[in-house]
Amino acid sequence: MVLYDSATLGGSCSGSSSSSSSSKPPPLQQRQQTQQDIDGLLAGAGYRVRSSELRKVAQRLERLETAMVNSPADLSQLASDTIHYNPSDLASWVDSLLSEFTQPPTCPSEFIMDPETNQTVVSDAWTTAEPHMPQVHQNISYEQQSLNNQLTVDNQLTVVTAMEEDSGIRLVHMLMTCAECVQRGDFSLATSCLEDMQGLLTRVNTVCGIGKVAGHFIDALSRRIFQGIGGGSINGGSAYENEILYHHFYEACPYLKFAHFTANQAILEAFDGHDCVHVVDFNLMHGLQWPALIQALALRPGGPPLLRLTGIGPPSPDGRDSLREIGLRLAELARSVNVRFAFRGVAASRLEDVKPWMLQVNPKESVAVNSIMQLHRLLGSDLNRNSPIETVLSWIRSLNPKIMTVVEQEANHNQPGFLDRFTEALHYYSTMFDSLEACTVQPNKALAEIYIQREIANVVSCEGSARVERHEPLSKWRTRLSGAGFRPLHLGSNAYKQASMLLTLFSAEGYSVEENDGCLTL
Amino acid sequence: MVQTHHCEDHETVGEDKEKRPKFFINDHVDILIEILKRLDGRSLCVAASVCRLWCTIARNDSLWENLCFRHVSPPPSSVRSVVLALGGYKRLYTGCVRPVRSRLGRVRRASWAGDEVQLSLSLFCVDYYERLGGSNSNGR
Repeated sequence: MVLYDSATLGGSCSGSSSSSSSSKPPPLQQRQQTQQDIDGLLAGAGYRVRSSELRKVAQRLERLETAMVNSPADLSQLASDTIHYNPSDLASWVDSLLSEFTQPPTCPSEFIMDPETNQTVVSDAWTTAEPHMPQVHQNISYEQQSLNNQLTVDNQLTVVTAMEEDSGIRLVHMLMTCAECVQRGDFSLATSCLEDMQGLLTRVNTVCGIGKVAGHFIDALSRRIFQGIGGGSINGGSAYENEILYHHFYEACPYLKFAHFTANQAILEAFDGHDCVHVVDFNLMHGLQWPALIQALALRPGGPPLLRLTGIGPPSPDGRDSLREIGLRLAELARSVNVRFAFRGVAASRLEDVKPWMLQVNPKESVAVNSIMQLHRLLGSDLNRNSPIETVLSWIRSLNPKIMTVVEQEANHNQPGFLDRFTEALHYYSTMFDSLEACTVQPNKALAEIYIQREIANVVSCEGSARVERHEPLSKWRTRLSGAGFRPLHLGSNAYKQASMLLTLFSAEGYSVEENDGCLTL
Repeated sequence: MVQTHHCEDHETVGEDKEKRPKFFINDHVDILIEILKRLDGRSLCVAASVCRLWCTIARNDSLWENLCFRHVSPPPSSVRSVVLALGGYKRLYTGCVRPVRSRLGRVRRASWAGDEVQLSLSLFCVDYYERLGGSNSNGR
């Protein structure tokens, strides 16, 4: 019925335009006229497709051609299914063929028949239609010709990438399933899942991308399943190893540099006009943050103040007093630039063991407290005693510091449910690994990855007091800190400018600094 | 006619030149310094390999200081003592200022010129600190 109507329309279109225009609603543009013409002619040729859709159809035909050229061997599946597709409805026919190609294809030889059958349909339509052959028809036959001629054989590469993406997605799904099993306590199913995943890993590129991240998560899961939630050997890494990994992480990517420079800027601005200043660093490591501050204080208008630095760090095992060594280095630097400097080291394995009297804060001096990724370790709630974070925050408050700088990971890894935590961690650390890829290739990268790997292992495979990587998002920290009596201070435009410059300098593609209500995020 | 006049002029000038003693730049060290002051870093390093006099002059830190602070307002005098303590202007330029300027030059904004120097100074300090560590601590 539709064909008959269209044919009559086609007939009327060949006549004068005025008669056609009277049946259409005003205003009638020239373009619509031509479109109507083409529609009519197409219908006359037996195709149920509108000229407005033709562009899409042509594009899809091109894609179909590339898919057919690139697919290996077999397309016979298409041949067997051609009965179902009515080629007159061009758009959906092409679509259905395309959808065949997204799955692994079958043999090609019988496909050659397909355009022939199509041709026959067309010729049938010709005999009944009027001899107005639109260019459209010629285009279509050309397409079919080219399809016939260009049926070349395999392009293995496209298939491999398709399979790899496929495997990557399957890996992620399996990771989620495994995590769910672990949450439910179904360890036998989880174990079989693990074995499957390890098998799948061999087929995926583990040097970069999802394969690498998945590998780490699989390790962490297996650790959890087989070694229990005590953490085993990860947290037992010696302080010395941790320092080295931290140093390489500092060198490899801009996160820590960004943290140090921004915190220094804030501290510098807070100390403006004060002559006696005291900085408390919750995790001294190699003290890489402080040379820049010492230099900035040396050059500030009005001259440098008396700077005291108290560095907290883990006790060193083999008699080396690493804190004191770092202090000596910083003192030598300060002496070279004529800044009066005094250093004090406080050795404590956990932050909650530190008591305020150990810091020996002089009431007349301005205090700055600096915590780079340390506060989240205190969030494990032990029901026997007060939550450690509140204790620490309260004694910090009692010191009455001029400024407190807090740097934390912006992630939500402290949820009670394992699956939620796992999902969040997967997302967060994939992004982190991708960002690491963006940095220039250096020897530091491998060790930086081990640093991140340890974090992953802790988040996934530890519980209770062993789990120290309890990251929380910005909003939660804000509430917590205001609850402890701290007022948020906006980082100025100088800090933002400096951060942007740092990023450009370390040629990091894809990184950007964002300002979030006074806080800077990288 | 005019051309022959010109020839004659040239000849006379040439003769004049022959009569006057030749001009050796090395005899006029102050002019030499003024010229070298205006060179960029790479040219200055190349100039240092010309002859011993040029080498001595090019090693003079004040030339490099000029190079570092060329495009910015003159820094306070305290900067000099700091920089000298941390290793000198030549080291500051080659280690920090040049890489900072070349990489930030792609996205140069006018307001950044002073901050570039600040950033270079901070990085220079960190670099000095790391050098200290290399010589002092063991097991690295």
